[in-house]
Amino acid sequence: MTAYAREKPGELAAFERIMSQCERRVLRVALRLLNNPQDAQDAAQEVFLRLYKNFGNLNEERGYEPWLYRVTVNVCHDIARGRRHSVGLEEVPEPQAPQPDAYSGAERAQQRELIRRGLSRLGGKERAALVLRDVEGLSTGEVARILGSSENTVRSQISTARLKLRDFTARLVRRRS
Amino acid sequence: MSCSKFETDIALYAGGDLPPGSIARVEAHLCECADCRALADELRTAQVLLGELPLEEAMVAQVHHRVLAEIGRADLSPRGALAPLLALAAALLLAAVLFWPRHHALKEVAVASGAASHAAAASHAAPTVPLAPRARHHHDHHRRAPAAPPGPPLLVQFVTDDPNIVIYWLVDQKPQGD
Repeated sequence: MTAYAREKPGELAAFERIMSQCERRVLRVALRLLNNPQDAQDAAQEVFLRLYKNFGNLNEERGYEPWLYRVTVNVCHDIARGRRHSVGLEEVPEPQAPQPDAYSGAERAQQRELIRRGLSRLGGKERAALVLRDVEGLSTGEVARILGSSENTVRSQISTARLKLRDFTARLVRRRS
Repeated sequence: MSCSKFETDIALYAGGDLPPGSIARVEAHLCECADCRALADELRTAQVLLGELPLEEAMVAQVHHRVLAEIGRADLSPRGALAPLLALAAALLLAAVLFWPRHHALKEVAVASGAASHAAAASHAAPTVPLAPRARHHHDHHRRAPAAPPGPPLLVQFVTDDPNIVIYWLVDQKPQGD
């Protein structure tokens, strides 16, 4: 039997249902943590293969989300660590300041791009805490449990990350003006 | 208190993460400090923009497809589940085909240990005709001699029909007086 051995009939259907419910969240977190679509897809695939492998052992009543978020963060951490030898996050080139645009929609898109780039500048733990809290909307306590930290630590990471992100975007906006 | 000491709390306040006991103090400062109000607004805007970062549906669909394909390759199809057994059976069959004729053609050749090197050197060209165990016959007339030391080890040579494969087997002999 392989590592993905199944015993209960119908588990594949249940697995597919869970995957359909959670795949956007997993991929979104992976994309925000890794800032690379290909790496994020690889990470999400690995997360769901792990879910499949452990599907019968997980406690359905407690929900799959905390487990999925935790594994996603860990898998992304492993991928980022392997990638750091080639293109480190700190080595991402300084982005060009966006040009003023007459269309508010395009300006908003530029602001989002600044935020995306600023996010990639954060340290791994700060980024994970911020993504889980501000992108996924989890509570501080949920984030703490997923990351294995205390709520005070998570609050400190979130606060630092928000201020760094704001400083990064403000610096670029000042440079533009 | 300077504004810099409020920054951390304002960052938490903007996201609704400030503990209730600190909210009144921060709000009082925001009422009297325009710069900190601007900071709080910028932090809220950044938070909204974070939530607006796009995610392409095509990426989601690709991951979905890749996961199911990987699972299907792993074991779900009957062929996938039987793959290890089929591979083992194929390996056993191959081994039988390759080794059975040689094993069947093994010939036992015994030579005296003193001639081991010669036997080894000659084995490549040696015919597969068995040689008599000369060492034992050589000492037959001493068989009843008392307390004789054990004889030299007997070298048994297995010659296969493959000239590159020769198997040697060293056998300790019993003491000559037994």
